[in-house]
Amino acid sequence: MKKRYSTTAVLLLSSSLVLAACGNNSNPGTNGGETGQSSGDKVEVRLATWAGNEEANELQAIIDELNANSTTYTLVQDSNPAEYDTRIITQLSGNSGPDLFWISAQRAAQFSAQGAMLDITDRLEASDHPAAQMDDYYEASLQPFTHEGQQFGLPWLQQPIMMYVNKGLFDEAELSYPDENWTWEDFSAAMTALTKDGNGNNPGDDGFNASNTVQWGFTLNGWPPIQMFVWQNGGEVLTEDGESPIDSPEATEAMQFYAELLNGPLTPSQSLIRDRGFDTMFRNGQVAMFMGGAADDLDSTVENVEAFMVPAGPDGTHATFADVLGMGINSKTNNPDAAFDALVDLTDAIHHWKIMPPRVSLGDLETLQEMHPQKAQSLEAIIASMEYARPYLYSEQYPNWDNVFTTQLIDPMVNSGADPLDLIPQVKPLLENAMQ
Amino acid sequence: MNNYMGTLVRWGVLPVLLLGIGFVIYFIATRLRWSKRQAIGLALISPWIVGFLVFTLYPLFNSLYLSFTQSSIFGGSRWIGLDNYVKLFTTDVEFWPSIRITLLYALLSLPLGVVGALLVAMLLNNKLKGIGTFRTIYFLPAVMPEVAVALIWRWMFNSETGIINFAMSPAFNLFGLDTPNWFGDPNYVLPAFIIMSLWGIFGVNTVVFLAGLQGVPRSLYEAAEIDGAGAFTKFKNITVPQISPVILLQVIMGMIGALQIFTVAMFVRPTTGAGKFMNQLVYERGFTQMAMGEASAIAWVLFLIILVMTLLVFRSSPAWVHYESDVKR
Repeated sequence: MKKRYSTTAVLLLSSSLVLAACGNNSNPGTNGGETGQSSGDKVEVRLATWAGNEEANELQAIIDELNANSTTYTLVQDSNPAEYDTRIITQLSGNSGPDLFWISAQRAAQFSAQGAMLDITDRLEASDHPAAQMDDYYEASLQPFTHEGQQFGLPWLQQPIMMYVNKGLFDEAELSYPDENWTWEDFSAAMTALTKDGNGNNPGDDGFNASNTVQWGFTLNGWPPIQMFVWQNGGEVLTEDGESPIDSPEATEAMQFYAELLNGPLTPSQSLIRDRGFDTMFRNGQVAMFMGGAADDLDSTVENVEAFMVPAGPDGTHATFADVLGMGINSKTNNPDAAFDALVDLTDAIHHWKIMPPRVSLGDLETLQEMHPQKAQSLEAIIASMEYARPYLYSEQYPNWDNVFTTQLIDPMVNSGADPLDLIPQVKPLLENAMQ
Repeated sequence: MNNYMGTLVRWGVLPVLLLGIGFVIYFIATRLRWSKRQAIGLALISPWIVGFLVFTLYPLFNSLYLSFTQSSIFGGSRWIGLDNYVKLFTTDVEFWPSIRITLLYALLSLPLGVVGALLVAMLLNNKLKGIGTFRTIYFLPAVMPEVAVALIWRWMFNSETGIINFAMSPAFNLFGLDTPNWFGDPNYVLPAFIIMSLWGIFGVNTVVFLAGLQGVPRSLYEAAEIDGAGAFTKFKNITVPQISPVILLQVIMGMIGALQIFTVAMFVRPTTGAGKFMNQLVYERGFTQMAMGEASAIAWVLFLIILVMTLLVFRSSPAWVHYESDVKR
């Protein structure tokens, strides 16, 4: 009896181990264990993105076309915006990540430093694909994907912050629209003229009632980033050697300017913004100027709205923040060659789909107007902004620095009305410590 | 179909594997001269033992190990001894505020929650017409999604348009004070969370107390009434001692729940000036900053806090928890 049991047990165990081995034989670098499976000579390449429904449908049309033309890969889209970062980190750390994935600039700097993204430097050098020509990219867009001189991914979008203007409200106030010569002084004057209470009084007028304000010149809630104002004033918040010169006169002055804007009355209070919605107030005509990414649809969905360059600093220095998004290859993919082919093809296709492509050769006004007629009126300013748009100085330690910067400096300014002059001496050593 | 074949095979393999493990355990147990009955029992619970080992014990000890390392989430870790803990306790600007707000929240919300739930349960313990409907209504919070509740609270606490400030504004005006900016002003974040926690009075806590109250023998109250005891005396000398094991359970579970607050805090997103709750800090260190070593260290500090506080409550329990079995002895 005992012998029969033990024989059965041994048989069952060994058969299950064999089956388990078969079950795990699928590609570790895939989401369903199917990469590496051939479809003819083509290899399946799984792509993870944060695209929502509509965006995913548009992307699928692009992928279908690429798949039809490719002889090496079949791209399979896995799009889900919910908790994208957490999902992709978990998948990659569990060796079950996709072959290709969309990635933000901040994450790209972390992933490439930690070896989660494939080094594609040699492949790029060997390729004559238009999307592989590194000298065609705006330099700023490549920085987040570069680690120790090696390239770990490609940007597919560089989105400068633009100033969206409700031209109807400007006309009503008899103001001329912003132009490239606009500085903080012009910006402040326009904000004052565009802020009014229920009786039509502006700040500074006798009888202006701030608690009965019905229209504001501008809005901010930590966005647009304070860094942009510091850059415009000739300062820096973080340098390549890890210093945080936030106590420089330029940085201090910019932060004070930002704090004054936060404290009103030219901008709505934070709780009002939370309640009514940040961009909703602009869409509803309660706010006259709004800073958003070049790809935002404010100028194509809201009547009489156009994007202009953000104002320059007091001495005319132009600077704007660029949100950079890109794509990388899982360093553990079993199909690096096919994944690279898919990467450059899809990157190029997205360059022809979204605003703004981070490539100089695609920054042609006429071409872009044909591609994006709904944003035609804003494109000239967007192209001009690309020249000086820059992302943050991303690195592996940047998230630590950013956490301190946000929680210890920006949050108290935005939510508690704290004076940056009081905060800067305390925060500076913490920031520099965070970069070590 | 091909896409799912791997998954299908794995799902097929899993039960076979578990069955195989059961047989092996049976085989080993019988060889060790266990009785057949014991060996079968052990084999049958083996899937749960395996689950415990793989999904609880291993992650537990792995996180302890990670807390002593500087580790990349993508693999590879470097042993750094106590550095993560030293950093937390000495230079980390978020750690102490996090400990402070988490402990204060637990210490302040817990007694309010337990006392409130007990009072509501006593009300629901009355024999009134339609009491079943009331009990159902008071259980509703238990079935509401936590995220929806958090969003509703956020709306109610809006400093300019929220119903709470609207209702309280006459009182604030009377003293010439501004209405609070609940989630924007660091001084009001903790009170706001404590008020939100009162929501937890209802639901499961009340039902557990109600079950406890209904287990108190009627004869004890009758005997006390014959001796001339009033309502408060009966509550103090009969109700509280009789349901003290339930109170102990509620205190321990409530304390653990309060110390582990996460969902509401993540959705309400108050100013960080008041500090982040510890579980929030664990998540952000792990998944935003990708510092799994630090995240694990914070998680272990939280675990130790919970352990110490639970032990303190247990140690104090002989002084105030009454078990009928003790009386019998």
